[in-house]
Amino acid sequence: MKFIRTILDKIEPIFDKGGFLEKFHPVYEATDTILFSTNEKTESGPHIRDSIDNKRVMILVVIALIPLYIFGAINIGWQAASVSGIERSVLENFWIGMGSIFPILMTALVAGGFWEVLFAVVRKHSINEGFLVTWALIPLIMPPTIPLWQVALATSFGVVIGKEIFGGVGMNIFNPALVARAFIFFAYPSQISGDKVWVNVDGISGATALSIPAAVENGNAVELLSNITRFDYSWSNMFWGYIPGSIGETNKFLIILGALFLMYTGIVNWRVIVGALIGLLGTATLTNILSSYSSNTMLTLPAHYHLVMGGFLFGVAFMATEPVTGAHTDKGRWIYGFMIGLLTVIIRSINPAYPEGTMLAILLMNAFAPLIDYYVVQGNISQRLKRYAAE
Amino acid sequence: MSQVKIKKGHDIQIAGVPKKELEIPGQSQTVAIHPTDFRYIKPKLLVKEGDNVKIGTPLFFDKRNPDINWASPGAGKVAAIHYGPRRVIEKMIIEIDKDEESVELPVLDTAQILESPKEKITEQILNAGLWPMIRQRPFNKVANPSTSPSSIFVSCFNSAPLTVDLDVALRNRQSSFRAGIAVLSRLTDGDVHVSVGENSISETFMDIPHAKTHSISGPHPAGNVGIQIYHIDPLKPGKIIWTVEAQHVVTLGGLFLKGVFDPSIVMTIGGPAVNKPTHFKTRIGTAIQPLIKDRLNDGPNRFISGDVLTGKTNDKDGYVSFYHSGVSVLPESDEREFLSMLKPGSSNSRYSLTNAFWSFRRSLFPFTTSKNGEERAMVPINSWENVLPMDIFPNPLFRAILANDVEEMEQLGLLECDEEDFALCSFADASKIDVGAVIRQGLDVLEAEG
Repeated sequence: MKFIRTILDKIEPIFDKGGFLEKFHPVYEATDTILFSTNEKTESGPHIRDSIDNKRVMILVVIALIPLYIFGAINIGWQAASVSGIERSVLENFWIGMGSIFPILMTALVAGGFWEVLFAVVRKHSINEGFLVTWALIPLIMPPTIPLWQVALATSFGVVIGKEIFGGVGMNIFNPALVARAFIFFAYPSQISGDKVWVNVDGISGATALSIPAAVENGNAVELLSNITRFDYSWSNMFWGYIPGSIGETNKFLIILGALFLMYTGIVNWRVIVGALIGLLGTATLTNILSSYSSNTMLTLPAHYHLVMGGFLFGVAFMATEPVTGAHTDKGRWIYGFMIGLLTVIIRSINPAYPEGTMLAILLMNAFAPLIDYYVVQGNISQRLKRYAAE
Repeated sequence: MSQVKIKKGHDIQIAGVPKKELEIPGQSQTVAIHPTDFRYIKPKLLVKEGDNVKIGTPLFFDKRNPDINWASPGAGKVAAIHYGPRRVIEKMIIEIDKDEESVELPVLDTAQILESPKEKITEQILNAGLWPMIRQRPFNKVANPSTSPSSIFVSCFNSAPLTVDLDVALRNRQSSFRAGIAVLSRLTDGDVHVSVGENSISETFMDIPHAKTHSISGPHPAGNVGIQIYHIDPLKPGKIIWTVEAQHVVTLGGLFLKGVFDPSIVMTIGGPAVNKPTHFKTRIGTAIQPLIKDRLNDGPNRFISGDVLTGKTNDKDGYVSFYHSGVSVLPESDEREFLSMLKPGSSNSRYSLTNAFWSFRRSLFPFTTSKNGEERAMVPINSWENVLPMDIFPNPLFRAILANDVEEMEQLGLLECDEEDFALCSFADASKIDVGAVIRQGLDVLEAEG
């Protein structure tokens, strides 16, 4: 690897102050520090530092997402094959799926990278490794059939409006990847609203699992799902992910694995996830109890079905847990997580317009996270002031 | 004896742990005192270069509080006075004579100490120039002799990495230590709290009269006196607590029992760059050179007065700071590893509080001065909260200080904090933010407000 180091050292003066490409120093720095660990030293204070840095934090999230890409590719191929009635090997399915995923991935990289570099150059800050996560997340929450120009537009919107106008990673209010999805969700509802499924074969469409019970009144959700013949919407199949959907959100097993990995490493806070699970299961149980008073079929959908349907687990595992946009206090994280679970069920069941609620629930709670923190911190303050006043 | 259990925190597994034996190093020919070690004072010199001084001769005093002066830790000639930018006195170096004389003061035994009024005790310590050994919280500055503290804390448990084991340091010092505690008990109407590590076996700390003893257990920063205050007798606005280093208690006790300032102190030399780390019997303000002689590994090294978390960068020819009792030496590193962020990690190259690196071997880790990353905006993955054993929200407090919101700083408990208690937060932070420096910045603002 020495020759790479030598090349980097050799071209460094071009990007330094007074060099020909001085303005593009952030690009050099990003390449340099991604390839090689930094040689920055401590100045004072703690003279030694933990090995963890933001690059490691971000790259571990990306590593947790890789299995979802692999399964996503296989599933795209498999879905296309099964509706056309063809038998293909897993590897063939994978390559066919990659044919859909790769252009989306590259489009997101080019579009997002462009804005990252532009902002870094203009505002003279370094390119943040947080973009790695945004980039890895965006394709996973897109349907495989999405037009590439929409991916480019959505990524641009997510990076610029979701992050850069606030000052970059660490200062953003909303999860940039989710902002990207929300953008096309509202701008181009015909492609992504979530009531039609996406299979990579022309002319094939059907209802997503969530929109089936939402469309019928006075029915039983589980019965309706089992009546579908085009896709297998049984609980176990939805858990193992052989259903049409966005690229990365179908296989719940791999999502749980990724979430456990991130919780173990200490990067993701388990309180958000546990809070969200309690919120979802609790609220769904409540709607089940209340379902006999209403003609809304969604209310009959059992809690464990809510869990494996739509993007709930994916959103909670990888997007709600984003440390910057979520609540920053432990008490706040419980509330924040719980409310995401609760709102997901409410939006899914009671809102007639959107069959899927996780995205909106997370974005809404992103907006409320500072408020939750405010009250938690005020609680701490008033406890302290009470102690100060005593004695 | 009450029990205090600290749960949050972390003991850093750093290599170069000092051996629990006392060695005598080659004698230092010079000693020094750094007026910059003392916060918020305005030093005014009482001697000039070339003057002869005894042990205990006042070298300078504080213009803001002229009663407080600083005793010379050695007898001989004032060899040099170093000035920094804007004529700040950085250090005063004293060349030691072969036969050292001491300034003599009245001798009092323990019974007499206990009968003396507070004023008499205060006067003797001030006259001896040892008052700066007594510091006050909040602000961790030299105490004001005219105030009355609610209580006085002495931590006899060092939990910071590579620091002096007080069981070793205070062996056979029981009588001076107890006299010192008696002295402190005269200075407050409240209690003298002595906290002892749960595993301490030293006789010195058993059944100490005139003090309340607390048994402390848990990881660093359990030994920090600020953390102990928080758990035993917490601060609040207007409340003042004094603190004294355990070894300085012995010095203060000796001052009354023998009538002279005995500047001897036990220090450690440790760290990954030291091949024979150990405890030394030396003196306050010693030169670093005799401690490190024949004990260093090759290579560029960083010399730190104090411990690796809160110490000051020094150089090989420097002197140990007044409140420090150790020298830590770390290898300087500029190594740049290829694609290190993707490496699974091994105990030879990786060390983290998170589980983001994996290794099967668990051995002491040879830390270097590498920052292991670049400074970034805050990404709150609880790394601060996990190592701060106080019910204080470090994140909002940090923001309040940056926003210069004085009222909110106080409400969030800044007065109960000191930067040394936040050193582990900076250590653990993935964004490489120096939290302790910001805490000090906030304390400076509150101190200036009065």
